[in-house]
Amino acid sequence: MKKGILAKVTLALIFAYLFFPIVATILFSVATRWSTTILPEGYTLSYYQQLFASSEFMHALLRTVYASFATIILSILLIVPSLYLAIVYYPRLEKLFEILSILPFAMPGVILAIGMIQMYSRGPLRIANTPWILIGSYFVLILPFMYQAIKNSFRTINVKTLTEAALMLGCGKLETFIKVIFPNVLRGVISAALISVSVLFGEFVLANLLVGDNYETIQIYLYKLQKVDGHLANALVAAYFLVILFMSLLLIWLAFRTRKHKTIV
Amino acid sequence: MSHVQILDVEKSFQGRQVLKRINLQVEKGEFVTLLGPSGCGKTTLLRIIAGLERSDGGKVFVGGKEIIEGLKKKAQNIGMVFQSYALFPNLTAYENIAFGLKINKISPPQIRQQVEEIMAILSIAGKEKNYPHQMSGGQQQRVALARALVTKPDLLLLDEPLSAVDAKVRESARSLIRDIQQKMGITTIFVTHDQLEALVMSDRIVILDSGEIMQQGKPEEIYNKPANRFVANFIGSYNFLPGSLLGLPNKNVEVCIRPEHIKLVKLDSLAQEEDASAHQLQGTLTNLYILGNTIRAEVSVQGKTLLVDRLNGFQASNFVLQEEVRLLLKKDALNTLGITS
Repeated sequence: MKKGILAKVTLALIFAYLFFPIVATILFSVATRWSTTILPEGYTLSYYQQLFASSEFMHALLRTVYASFATIILSILLIVPSLYLAIVYYPRLEKLFEILSILPFAMPGVILAIGMIQMYSRGPLRIANTPWILIGSYFVLILPFMYQAIKNSFRTINVKTLTEAALMLGCGKLETFIKVIFPNVLRGVISAALISVSVLFGEFVLANLLVGDNYETIQIYLYKLQKVDGHLANALVAAYFLVILFMSLLLIWLAFRTRKHKTIV
Repeated sequence: MSHVQILDVEKSFQGRQVLKRINLQVEKGEFVTLLGPSGCGKTTLLRIIAGLERSDGGKVFVGGKEIIEGLKKKAQNIGMVFQSYALFPNLTAYENIAFGLKINKISPPQIRQQVEEIMAILSIAGKEKNYPHQMSGGQQQRVALARALVTKPDLLLLDEPLSAVDAKVRESARSLIRDIQQKMGITTIFVTHDQLEALVMSDRIVILDSGEIMQQGKPEEIYNKPANRFVANFIGSYNFLPGSLLGLPNKNVEVCIRPEHIKLVKLDSLAQEEDASAHQLQGTLTNLYILGNTIRAEVSVQGKTLLVDRLNGFQASNFVLQEEVRLLLKKDALNTLGITS
């Protein structure tokens, strides 16, 4: 009995610790004035109106969306086929991929950014200060998440036997990949993509160091906004929080669906 | 020319030879079983026939066409059922079965007709919209079989398709597969490590061990006349005893006899069977237990334990353990395997 109460109290405290700032942020984003009272003196949605009406915000949002989605599509196009080929035809390569996929963890963002600026400001591939360098480094940043999630979805099916079954039925190798393998790992790929979206939407260090004002992403915009108007910044954070929350729920739902659909292959 | 020709096929994995110059012919419509313990090379041989594995040497022809690994398999039309069924999890039973026909660009009405036909034959009609995970092991197995059969293959390859279902389903699946194979007249190569499956289903059994064919023949030939000690040991139970024990002229010869060909009688029983048709031995009854439809006795004869099987219903209660008993070994059931080492 006692144990149960203690556990509940602990949980409640943790939740309060986590949620209090979020609630405060959301409240502040809809408060007219909030200085001497416990709760705001009045409520308004005008900051959200301002935010969504601002072209600067919309552009920043679109830039983030472009960079994130380009990165994710690029990594899906690269990782899924390479992992498939490794599993079915070159099992020895899988270990190499594994090591490569963990490597980004060993590389702090600052080091990665400075290294990349030095590398790509001269020479044949001069992409420093362009979105391309951002996409390139974002690719490295999300590689561990993408790789692990996609690898796990490959694990849920018997890739090699399914491939052979399709081949025996007259499929070509590419056809097998497109018609049989890809649809079966799609869920894993989507959840990998969702994780990556939330990582990339929150990314500031690389964006600030690599492209900064040349390609103002949503986080850079937020950084600037904080110095100008607290209410607006809070509205942005609240909106951002809701998007991430929505995506997390989608992820959880997907994970559950996948588990239910798990088959004996 | 035989429908399937396997000529001097060899294969090694990391320096270990798993197939040693295998030569095997399969006639059209024949049901041939590759039987052997795990690691004997039977699955590797099947995969080479399927064109899923490259051989190190030798050739395989199916219906006169050479099988080459890595080549697109549209033309070769070989159906295969995998041990794990390998149904496509994202497709329904109907879509799974129709898959091969679609790839071969058959017209939709014809696909529908052929799929429905094969589903009826395999009594899985009504499961069209079920996904693999919504079906039992037995149903999944039928879908896998239907998927392999619907293209009317020149050759059907079965890689231990019965090992993943429970005993009851396995029994009915055995006769189902055999029935359909007979009805459709499909040349079939079946891989198993289960001797009973092999005996029940096959026209011909090919016994493999360490990459070599030990013996091939009809089920009754394999059972009654094993060519060597390995086959004798692998199929059913066998008693091996030195010729000297029976007082045979050649003392170095090893003979073997099935447990069901030995008769167990009381020591003091009237020796009515004491004729020339049986050898007699005396021993101690050390164990007696029921195997189902038979009762097995273990009798120790000069330090060697012999197994004796009698039909259940035999008067086991007449015997007590440690009793001295008499064994009658039918002479025409004795099998000499050659000189012992």
